[in-house]
Amino acid sequence: MISLTDFMVVSAVLFCIGLYMIVSKHNAIQILIVIELMLNAAILNLVAFGRYDRVANSGQMFALFAIVLAAATTAVALAIILNVYKRYKTIDPGKIDNLKD
Amino acid sequence: MEHFLQSIDALTIKFTLIAVLLPLLAFVINTALPAKWSKVAGWVSTVFILISCVLAAFIFSKVWNGHQVHQQMLWFTIGDTPVYAGILLNNLSVLLLLLVNLIALPVHLYSTAYMRHDEKYSRYFAYLSFFCFSMLALAVSDNLVLFYIFWELVGFSSYLLIGFWFTRDKAVFANKKAFIMNRIGDIGLLSAILVLFSMYHTFDLDTLFGQINLVGHSNIQNGLWHLSSNSVPNDSGAIVITGGSIQIPAIWQYIAFAGIFLAVAAKSAQFPLHTWLPDAMEGPTSVSALIHAATMVAAGVLLLGRVYPLFNDAELTFLAIIGCFTAFMAATIALTQNDLKRLLAYSTISQLGYMVMAMGIGAYASSLFHLVTHAFFKCLLFLVAGIVIHQMGHIRDDNNLEIDPQNIQNMGGLRKKLPLTFIAALIGGVALVGLPFTSGFLSKDGILVQAFEWSAGKNVFFKIIPILALLTTWLTAFYVARLIVKVFFGELRVLQFKPDLKLHMSDGTWQYKLPLVLLSVCCFFPFFSTNPFSQDASWVYNGLLGILNETGFAMVLPVVINIGSLLIIYFAYTIYTGKRTNPFAQTGVIFNLSFNQWYFDSIYQNAIVKPILNTSLVTFWFDRRVIDGFILLFAKMSVALSKLAAWMDRNIVDGFLNLLVKAVRIIGNFARRFQGGKVQYYLFSMLAVILAIFILKTFF
Repeated sequence: MISLTDFMVVSAVLFCIGLYMIVSKHNAIQILIVIELMLNAAILNLVAFGRYDRVANSGQMFALFAIVLAAATTAVALAIILNVYKRYKTIDPGKIDNLKD
Repeated sequence: MEHFLQSIDALTIKFTLIAVLLPLLAFVINTALPAKWSKVAGWVSTVFILISCVLAAFIFSKVWNGHQVHQQMLWFTIGDTPVYAGILLNNLSVLLLLLVNLIALPVHLYSTAYMRHDEKYSRYFAYLSFFCFSMLALAVSDNLVLFYIFWELVGFSSYLLIGFWFTRDKAVFANKKAFIMNRIGDIGLLSAILVLFSMYHTFDLDTLFGQINLVGHSNIQNGLWHLSSNSVPNDSGAIVITGGSIQIPAIWQYIAFAGIFLAVAAKSAQFPLHTWLPDAMEGPTSVSALIHAATMVAAGVLLLGRVYPLFNDAELTFLAIIGCFTAFMAATIALTQNDLKRLLAYSTISQLGYMVMAMGIGAYASSLFHLVTHAFFKCLLFLVAGIVIHQMGHIRDDNNLEIDPQNIQNMGGLRKKLPLTFIAALIGGVALVGLPFTSGFLSKDGILVQAFEWSAGKNVFFKIIPILALLTTWLTAFYVARLIVKVFFGELRVLQFKPDLKLHMSDGTWQYKLPLVLLSVCCFFPFFSTNPFSQDASWVYNGLLGILNETGFAMVLPVVINIGSLLIIYFAYTIYTGKRTNPFAQTGVIFNLSFNQWYFDSIYQNAIVKPILNTSLVTFWFDRRVIDGFILLFAKMSVALSKLAAWMDRNIVDGFLNLLVKAVRIIGNFARRFQGGKVQYYLFSMLAVILAIFILKTFF
């Protein structure tokens, strides 16, 4: 049987990969993808802990909820990235360091 | 009547002041004169001295053989002692006043021509006027402090005039020498004045030596110099001594005498301080005529005349010995000198020696009489020398010769070229020798007669003095004859080795001729006495209260002297008109002694000047090495300390600040990196911090 620990390890690995990618990638779209990856690591945790609430299935419920929210945020983020690209002609977050004008 | 006399006296005093101050005014005007008007300077000085001369003649006529005029005012007060300054006119003062003016007038006139081409013409007359002022003031000043001031000023103006051509090294050395020697005398005079003041508590000449005659009333007893108040006649109303008697150790009297002797020796060029006078001939000849023959050098004899009552018998004998020795020594030196002016300078020293000797043997009046007559004929001889040197200088310049215009070996035969000068020289020379019908006869033979009388009742050693004086007279006859024959007789010796010279010589303009004529007239007896053979008939002599005992000497001696002189002059004439330039061998101990001026200069050079210079070098070295060295060491230490401080400042104080700045910059740069505007970097830093916190929390 797959233990809770295995889920946690997978989740932690996913999260760490996400962290690494988020600081090292030069493409905002990729960063957005990696954020999704980290969200999914958190959702995986929610689902894994859901075994302790078989009555209300609140873990799964939170997971669904989070997925919906993630979809919404992704949509917003994509819009922002599009606007950023329009203005700076790049989507490398390392090169976008101006707050002014 | 009384009132009338007083107003006449006041007028006399006023005239004296004007006569004395006019040359000072001339000095001021000539100093302030702009350069383009410098030709006026000579006439300013001459006219002023002429006015002064007329005034002096008036004053002389009022005071001579009349009553003494003395006026003074409070000058300053030291403690309780008031010091008065004023004018004292007695026979001696007015005689000097008139004499100086009478000599200065022809010399001024002569100088207007003689110095005509000199570029410092106005300065020359300024100095000359300044000298006349000092000398006239010296003659009439009534107290020792004023006397000392003008004594110094006379020496100072003489210094200026000796070094008038200061671009010549020799002139500068000569005036330095004259100044230093005169300073020695000045110190003597000053100390004598201080001794007299501490004894008598007054500087006033009249109180000291005149009517009240404090000096005459003091005496030396049991090793004490003593003045008691009851021995002083107090009827003149002057309160002289306050309380009791004054006595100080007798040594002070001798110190005062020594001081006065030094002063006289320096000013009147007596042994041992005589060596400056021959060197002083580096000045213009007209200056030599006025200052170094007639007036300034007479100041020493004037001083002797002023303080005469101070001396006791031993001191007078000392003066006689020194004067006699000086006269003899200078006469022997004059025998072999070839420089015209040096020869005359030694002759002056010799005649001054006569005067000092005359003072020493008690021939007070004869001494001053000789001073007066000597002033005229010696001034005349110097003016003649000036013309001769001037003409020789012309020959040298016209023909580009390498000759010394003052050397009498180059001269000769000038009597045809310069007839008036020749006659003047002859008159001056005859007066100097003291032949009958001249003024020199009256004064000089008077001194000799009195010298023999003085020694008559004394030890045999005292006989040496009159005999030396007699010898000196004959030596004088010889060197005067040699001088005149070499200069004026025979043929011009320059022609012997350069026969094709262009010669155009003349006596010069009236400014040269008139002074010669004036002074020549004053060299004859009628100017001084009605009887050409007796000093007794001379007004100067009688005015100075001379008393001549009629003894056998007075009858026989002048005859002997003059026959001797005439023989010597004839002898000199015959040998020097001969073909040879030097009839005598120029070798031998005696010749060298005379030619080298008795080696006084080299003795002084080796015994005094060199040790002093060496001491100066040592002190200079000490100053340079030790004192300066100490200061330099101090300076170096300061520099080193400063350098250390600067290093500390730069490296430690500044270094600390720089370190701070560097640290701030490093920290700032480090902190800046987190604020670069890069989103991912922010995130990374955040992660790192959180990780660090977690690690810390976990392990500690």
